Amino acid sequence: MRRIWAVARNTIRQALRMKVAAAFIVLLLILLPILGLTVTGDGTLKGRLQTFVSYGFSLTSLLLSFLTLIVSVYTITSDIEHRQIYTVVTKPIRRSHLILGKLLGVVTLDVALLTLFTGIVYGAAMLMPWFINASPQELEEVDRQFYTARTSLVPPELDVSEEVDALYQKLAKNDQLQQVYPNYPKPEIIKQLTNQKRLEKRAAAIGQRLLWEFTNVRPLDPNQSLFIRFKYDVSVTPPDEQVYGDWYIGDLRQLGAGPELATPIFRATRKDAVRSFREIEVPAAAVTADGYLAVGFINPPLNETVVIFPLEDGLEVLYKADTFTGNFIRAALLILLRLIFLACLGALAGSFLSFPVAILFCLVIFLTGTVSGFVMESFDLLSQNIGIIYTYTVRGLVQLLPQFDKNNPTTFLVPARLISWTYVGKVALFMVGLRAFLLLLFALMIFRFRELAKVVV
Amino acid sequence: MESYAVETIGLTKVFSDWWGRARVYAVDDLNLQIRHNEVFGLLGPNGSGKTTTLKMLLGLLHPTRGHALLLGGHGSDPKINARIGFLPEESYLYRFLNARETLDFYGRLFGLSREVRQMRIEALLDMVGLKAVASRPVGTYSKGMARRIGLAQALINDPDLLILDEPTTGLDPIGTRQIKDLILKLSERGKTILLCSHLLADVEDVCHRIAILYGGKVQAQGRVKDLLQQTDKRQIVTDAVSDAAVERIKSILHGEGVQFEVSSPMERLETFFIHTVAEAQQQAKPTSGAVSTTQIGDFLTAGARKGNILDTLVGAPEAEPATVTPQTEKVAETEVPRREHDKDVLRELTKSTPAPTEQTAKAETPRTEPVETKDGTDAQRVKKKVLDDLLGRPAPQEPKEQGERKEGDSGHA
Repeated sequence: MRRIWAVARNTIRQALRMKVAAAFIVLLLILLPILGLTVTGDGTLKGRLQTFVSYGFSLTSLLLSFLTLIVSVYTITSDIEHRQIYTVVTKPIRRSHLILGKLLGVVTLDVALLTLFTGIVYGAAMLMPWFINASPQELEEVDRQFYTARTSLVPPELDVSEEVDALYQKLAKNDQLQQVYPNYPKPEIIKQLTNQKRLEKRAAAIGQRLLWEFTNVRPLDPNQSLFIRFKYDVSVTPPDEQVYGDWYIGDLRQLGAGPELATPIFRATRKDAVRSFREIEVPAAAVTADGYLAVGFINPPLNETVVIFPLEDGLEVLYKADTFTGNFIRAALLILLRLIFLACLGALAGSFLSFPVAILFCLVIFLTGTVSGFVMESFDLLSQNIGIIYTYTVRGLVQLLPQFDKNNPTTFLVPARLISWTYVGKVALFMVGLRAFLLLLFALMIFRFRELAKVVV
Repeated sequence: MESYAVETIGLTKVFSDWWGRARVYAVDDLNLQIRHNEVFGLLGPNGSGKTTTLKMLLGLLHPTRGHALLLGGHGSDPKINARIGFLPEESYLYRFLNARETLDFYGRLFGLSREVRQMRIEALLDMVGLKAVASRPVGTYSKGMARRIGLAQALINDPDLLILDEPTTGLDPIGTRQIKDLILKLSERGKTILLCSHLLADVEDVCHRIAILYGGKVQAQGRVKDLLQQTDKRQIVTDAVSDAAVERIKSILHGEGVQFEVSSPMERLETFFIHTVAEAQQQAKPTSGAVSTTQIGDFLTAGARKGNILDTLVGAPEAEPATVTPQTEKVAETEVPRREHDKDVLRELTKSTPAPTEQTAKAETPRTEPVETKDGTDAQRVKKKVLDDLLGRPAPQEPKEQGERKEGDSGHA
């Protein structure tokens, strides 16, 4: 362990003194405060905070990712290239310990820098209201919608398989399948029909209503607020790009049961912009004792369009479940997990490639990882034509890709959404415990058996 | 205990092309046995497979065939590594560390405790004469300075086996001389040293046995004395004697009917150089000399205390010496007993014909048989021939040619 730590120390020194790390550190130290001063978002305090945290976090994460890749690749390839490795591996240290030491150095550096920079972002985010002299209303708003960590409930996916089956049969019977879905395999048609049916369930024609029911809603405190976060989509975009909506929130089963209401029902009529996220704030008292909550929406005749709530993120219920600070720390941890993965990736690439090639290799993986959703979708689409070969080859590899876009901490921090420890644990398990571990294992194997000296005759 | 300090058995390294076809035999069926407490020189021209052999010994390259054993184990085994010191052909150092940090890093790799590390680092810095520049990044060092720190690095664990690849390249004559002295001292203290070089003078001065590699194969191997001694010649060295005495000796030799030559022996350039520098040092005040700007000054001061570092390295009490012997005295002390031998070497190198001296004649008596030489005059001749090639001497040594050579030389003297 002492030897591993000796290598780690040396790696940190290398990163700091070879000015690789220094460049990134200086860049961040300049950019973060500038960001804090210049971002305005949509002009409100909340928008400002959201934009700053989003940019600040993304920038920190991006630059530290590059730094991690460069340092972890460089520290290994440079030792081989410049042959310091001759005097190091001939000392009583195992090759695997050498790699582990280098990784430990990179990760230690990451932890230190991540603490520093997320600390700056945190400090700036906390000071911003004071800095821009925010009004009390704004302060109250950000308190509830930004400086918090809210858990989110989405309506359960509806089972539409019967309807889809019926529709498929009907289309098949009428020989319309080929017309509508030329050359599509059956599973793909079913998938599309399912989406279509589900979307129908989330679309309100003019004058129609939609109802979502949530169970197990457990706000921390009945005096706090619930938030209905929604996004409208429309079939015909109104000229002012806004639509009306009548909202009923509470235990709607009580309607018609009598004049006495056990829990209050809240009603809101509002006009909101389409295709952007909006939130309705409701006291948590609307939830029944057993955690039931219903949300009703009526598309009023004032609108001249069908209103649709997109499948992915059209509607959810948010309520406070933890503090902003706790959430912020977990967000930083998510970045750290990503950095650990990248350090292992760098170690693997460095164990058998030269510096420029290794960096290229890592960047390709990194960038693919940041758009993993897109990559997977494209491959899935491709697979319909390649079929079985794909399923057993490329698909496995694609699954192994890290999914940075899925666990991007800013998608949690900006809407003040709770990052649960369970979630962090899950990411740790899959990103580090599984993927990074595999990479490291390969790196150690390669490094253990490769020849470290160049052939010179 | 393992029988040999270093042993290779049929060691072969073939460099193949992309298709796996053998291209070059860098090392070809090499069988070396280096005994404990031996200073062994591995010689050969550039590209003869010396460094490749070392790399295989240390586990940096994998042998295509055969085995390489260090201290009875494999060169990549940490337990074995703990007893080895290695100086590669260039001191590959971390440019961003300073000398002290460099040694500290390697000390940590050996798992040495803080006290031992600190004590050894200071002693080694003293020894290699880098104390004054110890806090400068080694990336700014000259080649010779890097070499010194490389040597210090190889000694930090007080190794049983020291592997030195071209240890004297880039060093000034004093540094070279110090390394040679160090090798001899370490050898006295029971260490085994494998020295890889093409600087023949270095090897000749310190090695007990040598092997000459060419094309990855051992061309000649054996004790230095056995390989180099010209048993058909004698050399007599005297103090300055009167011409009359010389004439009498000449007449005796004429009676014997042998060819001979009379001349004043040349001082060796190395010795001369060291003396000159030492004198220059003496003229300056001792204090300013020790601290002063020149590398040589620092280095000589360090040289005087070398005994101390060696003691500490082999675990003797770590007391600081009460008095430091004046540097010049020390230099002189080391010079005197070596001068005779040096002269021989110098002659050898400057292509003068060495008549056998008393010294070498004596050495004949306790002659131990070469370890694995397949004697016979033919073999001897082949070995000599290779040596001659390396020394740049004309291959067939006809006595007649030598005669001409003599005259030229003595005329010069």
